[in-house]
Amino acid sequence: MKFRALMQDPLYMRELQNIIATLAKLAKDCIMILGAQQMHFIVNEDQSSTSSPLVWVSIAARDYFPEYKMEAARADQEYIVLTMSSANLGRALSVLRGGGVNSCKLKLQRIQFPCITVIASVLSTSSTEAREVVHDVPVTIIPASDWPTYVVPRVPASQLALSLPSLRLLRSLIDKLKNVSPSLEFQASYDGELNVVATSEMSTVTSRFRRLLPRFLSADEDREASCSVDSRKASAFFGALQLANEELTIGIDREHSIHLQIDVREDVVLHSILPAVCA
Amino acid sequence: MEDHLEDYKFVSRLDHVKTFNAAIKSICFNDYAMLQVSDEGLRITVEQGRSIQATLFMPPAAFTEFHVQDFQSFGLKMNALSECLNLFGTADCSVRMLYKDQGDPLKIILYPYDDEDVSTECAIKTMDSEEPIEYDLNLKDSDLNTIFVRGPNLSKIFHELEKSAEEFEFITSPDRPHFKITTIGIMQAVFSVEVAKTSPMMMMFNCPQTLVARYKSQQIRLTNKAMQAATKVSIKTNTLGLLELHLVMQGEGQEEIFVQFYVVPLLNGID
Repeated sequence: MKFRALMQDPLYMRELQNIIATLAKLAKDCIMILGAQQMHFIVNEDQSSTSSPLVWVSIAARDYFPEYKMEAARADQEYIVLTMSSANLGRALSVLRGGGVNSCKLKLQRIQFPCITVIASVLSTSSTEAREVVHDVPVTIIPASDWPTYVVPRVPASQLALSLPSLRLLRSLIDKLKNVSPSLEFQASYDGELNVVATSEMSTVTSRFRRLLPRFLSADEDREASCSVDSRKASAFFGALQLANEELTIGIDREHSIHLQIDVREDVVLHSILPAVCA
Repeated sequence: MEDHLEDYKFVSRLDHVKTFNAAIKSICFNDYAMLQVSDEGLRITVEQGRSIQATLFMPPAAFTEFHVQDFQSFGLKMNALSECLNLFGTADCSVRMLYKDQGDPLKIILYPYDDEDVSTECAIKTMDSEEPIEYDLNLKDSDLNTIFVRGPNLSKIFHELEKSAEEFEFITSPDRPHFKITTIGIMQAVFSVEVAKTSPMMMMFNCPQTLVARYKSQQIRLTNKAMQAATKVSIKTNTLGLLELHLVMQGEGQEEIFVQFYVVPLLNGID
């Protein structure tokens, strides 16, 4: 079993750091699935009080890593599956936030226990020599027999998706709306209008986003789709996001779920699913 | 999206939400508010028990647009109103207020300036209105002690006063100390501030008589938020000790919003 990856572009390093920091804010543990071409991170829906939603990120290895090598435990296996503390991984990568990082290596190795070693080579102002900052993040290797419970979630079949050019207003609105009502109804129309409705005993608050781009349309007679979700889950997702003002796509699978998607790059995509609740 | 505006008995628009929002927050000490609209302007009154009353008053000139049919009055929940005005946080918005008729909700629509494709409409349920208590300070002028002071200065004085005090004593007098605020704490610990009528923070001083009255500090403290936002404050008292604080808040477009408090004195405060 072998895994090794190298990053060199400061922009990509910062993006990866932001992605992991987002996951670390959502849940204690994260799953890392390493494939031949892709790397996935998954944080599961938290059943406890924090009520964070299911979020996963798929990264095309060639996008981020000029060097990427993965050998599964056996030749007939396609993956390495690991779990680790998301906070530990976040801390290990936090060095990438600052400037002067030359390169960053990720390596699976066994010291006394299996771990992902993050080695960042950092230039300091006082010396011409680069420093090496090394973090060993302990991981648990998941045996192939358990893989069925560790699969990358499927993107739900939304009837309608709208893309929002800026997250900023929606994010602060949802944070406020969670105090108004425990559930939020998302209503989308093919004309590119998204309504977020919060209803409480004393008031009904409807936030309207107009002139959005409908992304993909199913052959559906109905020109509208709506779904109610847990407002604390929605707020937890937006509150955790560390990605700067990216475009967000909101897909609505009527009565089932809302799919949130952020395209960091063409092949680096963050997803979340907010399951439907009774309004 | 909008129904015909002529269907509404009250239609108004404000260019900036900020000052209105601050004014609403400053009188948010009880959840039930009475709202009254007439040709004279908009009034929102909040009371607590029978001892303190706050009224926010906005004349038609404070609005960019203001139309009202007859006299409209209804009750609503202050928290719902404040929550709505706060939805966009610090982002600047213009606000439209609409009200159709008895039993219909008060609609508040916010339009943030930095994204013209976004708006939020809040429909706040309205209730039957009760009549606000009338505290008449319209007594003979000779019976009133009146002081005008600069808001920020007064706010600072109140900020420095003892936080744990139980009672406040106000003295207004033609002779020294002119204007004195004393806090009386637990174990009768006393702390006081005197402001001479020649002080630069005084904008006007007209106190023909010496008046002393005590108020519950909890109630005086309810005026704190309003005082922080005020540019000018007028303080009036009469022989009964009834205290009127009249605060002026200035909006971005120089429009003025008024907040008026009536505070009933403690009985043992009058000798």
